[in-house]
Amino acid sequence: MARNYPFSAIVGQEDMKLAILIAALDSSVGGVLVMGDRGTGKSTAVRALAALLPEMSSVQDCVYACDPNAPAGTCPICDDLRAKLKSGGKLKAIKKPVPVVDLPLGATEDRVVGALDIEKALSSGEKAYEPGLLAKAHRGFLYIDEVNLLEDHLVDLLIDVAASGANVVEREGLSIRHPAKFVLVGSGNPEEGELRPQLLDRFGLAVEVKTPQEPKSRIEIIKRRDEFERNQEKFMQTWEKEDEIIRQQIQAGKKKLSSVKVSDEMLEKVTQLCSHLGTDGLRGELTLLRAARAYAALCGKNQVTLEHLRKIAVPALQHRLRRNPLDDSSSAVRVRRALDELFPQTAQ
Amino acid sequence: MENLEQTQGISKSAKLETWLRALQVAQLLVINPHGLGGVIVRARSGPVRDRWLAYLNDVAQLAGMRLPLRKMPLGISDENLIGGIDLDQTLRTGKAVLRQGLLAQCDQQLLVMPMAERVEVNAVAKVVSALDNGFIAIERDGQSRRIESRFGVVALDEGIEDDEQPNEKIRQRTAFLLNLDVIGWRDLPEADDDFLPDAKSIQYASQYFSSVSISEESLNALVGVAEHLGVISIRALNLALNTAKCLAAFDREDEVSSMYLQRAIALVLSPRATRMPQSAPPGKEEIPPETEESEEQESEQDPLDQELPPPEVPPPDQYQKDEKEDEEQEQEITAQNPQGLEDQILEAAQAAIPADILARLADLADLKTPKGMGGKTGAVKVGRMRGRPLGNMPGMPEGGKTLSIIDTLRAAVPWQGMRRAEMKVAGKTIPHGKILIRKEDFRIKRYQERTQTLTIFIVDASGSSAMYRLAEAKGAVELLLAECYVRRDQVAVMSFRGSAAELILAPTRSLVKAKRALSGLPGGGGTPLSRAIDESFEVASASLRKGLTPALVFLTDGRANIAKDGSPGRPKAMEDAQQSARTASLYSFKSLWIDTSPQARDEGKAMAALLGSMYLPLPNAGANEVSQAIMQGLKKA
Repeated sequence: MARNYPFSAIVGQEDMKLAILIAALDSSVGGVLVMGDRGTGKSTAVRALAALLPEMSSVQDCVYACDPNAPAGTCPICDDLRAKLKSGGKLKAIKKPVPVVDLPLGATEDRVVGALDIEKALSSGEKAYEPGLLAKAHRGFLYIDEVNLLEDHLVDLLIDVAASGANVVEREGLSIRHPAKFVLVGSGNPEEGELRPQLLDRFGLAVEVKTPQEPKSRIEIIKRRDEFERNQEKFMQTWEKEDEIIRQQIQAGKKKLSSVKVSDEMLEKVTQLCSHLGTDGLRGELTLLRAARAYAALCGKNQVTLEHLRKIAVPALQHRLRRNPLDDSSSAVRVRRALDELFPQTAQ
Repeated sequence: MENLEQTQGISKSAKLETWLRALQVAQLLVINPHGLGGVIVRARSGPVRDRWLAYLNDVAQLAGMRLPLRKMPLGISDENLIGGIDLDQTLRTGKAVLRQGLLAQCDQQLLVMPMAERVEVNAVAKVVSALDNGFIAIERDGQSRRIESRFGVVALDEGIEDDEQPNEKIRQRTAFLLNLDVIGWRDLPEADDDFLPDAKSIQYASQYFSSVSISEESLNALVGVAEHLGVISIRALNLALNTAKCLAAFDREDEVSSMYLQRAIALVLSPRATRMPQSAPPGKEEIPPETEESEEQESEQDPLDQELPPPEVPPPDQYQKDEKEDEEQEQEITAQNPQGLEDQILEAAQAAIPADILARLADLADLKTPKGMGGKTGAVKVGRMRGRPLGNMPGMPEGGKTLSIIDTLRAAVPWQGMRRAEMKVAGKTIPHGKILIRKEDFRIKRYQERTQTLTIFIVDASGSSAMYRLAEAKGAVELLLAECYVRRDQVAVMSFRGSAAELILAPTRSLVKAKRALSGLPGGGGTPLSRAIDESFEVASASLRKGLTPALVFLTDGRANIAKDGSPGRPKAMEDAQQSARTASLYSFKSLWIDTSPQARDEGKAMAALLGSMYLPLPNAGANEVSQAIMQGLKKA
């Protein structure tokens, strides 16, 4: 079986890697959108993520792999299981890998939301529900390559489910509601069309990737690719250690996350920045705050500082700016400009 | 015509060389179809292309490839491309049976895409994702499967116009770009049999290419040469490396020596060169913009401006000049006799850049023309049979609507028990083992046609108009541009003054570019209305061929005073303009005539009537009013 290229072996692309790690550390930040040049390892990085995620504890007999501590009423299967328990009993939990699910282009709606299991229906006349990709991605990641080429009706579905965290199926005589909380990860090439603003908004962080220019990293990239293709086993072994470090970093960050403090001063700065940039709604502020906190946790810090904010502001906000059709400068530049105006570098 | 010129521009030996290179490409493709991605063959359908394909087929047979060339029809459905449920088998066996799509069937083979320049971007994306992954992910019709398939692509590019190109996604992933249009039938050798490789070598190579190694020094040289040639893409580097390995394996070598590296670079990187190896000082060099490049250069580019500026293709004589310069430089550098592997290879790469460099650069330039257009050109008006699938809805499959069999079955299945019971009660005989389908179960497929609008502004910049309205017209166009941007429309701007009409902004979605073009628009001179009409309709009909829906907006006072042949004089000019308008009206495009003269005049009204345009007199209106009027007018028109 072909294996995924290890995450730690990806050369450069620090912005992209950081955004993915933050999303892995704190799913409440929201997904990651990676747009940019072709052949820059966008898909490679997302696929490599799967190997970095610590296993999660989930209810044993639930097809949606629910969290055993999730409140009642969110999952029909867990509720059934609970009903069968003796009072005071606990749901059986097992460790499962965090799912990273691909949503390929050309997927049909029935596979995305789930549908009547046609085989069962034909053979035994049973009206069974066959969960789709949204169910599979619950508590994990849903990856869409070429997200800007996704069919419109699928985009509508995603927008709805990503917002509510639940997938409601009303078709073919089925009526089912199951939890579907996932981190949306998209990648694409901006030249092939833009994303609908509503979908854009569902992504917590947005990063832009470019083909590396310096000969050194270019050489390193093809060298590692070559090694990977020639001797996968050895290559994986070489990088396993590095991957392990990142894995531990994520795990430590997850534990730390709840104890990271955000001072009122920082909160004010977050609001200041967002209102200065005129981002719509509260989502910008929330994401910026959460992302900064996750970044601080990733760095092993107890407190969010201006430095964290500065680092994370562009990916958290650049896709939320109101478009000024006749402003020539890119949104990343506008965010950076606002940062420099509000919090001059010398001040800290 | 252009083809003829190209054919004549190259010496006979160079043509033969190109042909031999094409044959070598065919061998390499058979050795490692997936690792090399494939080839784009720019050639019109004809004997030369057929002969190349026949050769490819022969080599593939030698290597023992079964059914080597699979064709991907234009407009193939997702069902056939990716796969889906096999209805016949499913119903027969009562088990869901998967039907493999074309991509899955192409494992270890070559997928031929005829008319690659017209394949829709969505189809291209699916092919490309299979190419990248080495498997096809099927999430369709209740089937969730992953099928391994490692194939290569032979994209047959029959584009004639400069902007008809296979999608950039494909270009990025195929190792080779061949241009067979430069070769005439008469230039070919009698037969290619002498060039058929030894079957054992091919088989050996396809087995062992992956174990060929490459030294660090050679890798450095590869990256260095790519830089000199202005090839940015990392994928191209990988493809060149894989090519070198295949070449070495063919000769049963286990390391890529500099000779193989040279040949691989000549095959893969040279056709992608964006500058001559000895680059002139920056600023002077002509870099046909490639995606990565221009994005690098303007690293802080606004997403709005992602669309690339059309490359400034200099007239041929300029090319010649450049070539001479380059040749001189070449000699200088060679005289310096640089050391090191990189220089050595670069030197060879230059030598490998064949004598037809002029034609190569020219077709390089035309290969680089408007980005984002290539591959998108498939969306010409087609009934409701095509377009993006939009899910399905209840309804009867009549009037050209397609029945969605799977969804119909799905709808019918849950009710089987009940229907049988019902029939039993009614005392009817129940057919055994059959599904009872009723009218209300029928589901039809819905498609959405996506057509983009191209709004062409034809701005009168003549003296008579400029006095009053040019500034307002500019302002209005800017406002409209913003509106067009929101609707993802394309815009083009044409101005006419003096004796000519000029397309100052080719169809684009970039607002920044449009703004720039407008602000530099000078006013004054005569009113060559007839030419403006002729040329704008030419642009419009060209865009129609690309699948866009054109709409024209004239901003003029309609008082022509320059005739078609450029001579002044109002009566003749008006007559010509009317003639042009009559011809143009045959196209029946949506159009809008904004009369910008201070008092509405009959001339404008008459012209609008001839053109079949909606007429809007706008005395003393500001930019805002003009823009609003146009928005409403276009909606109505």
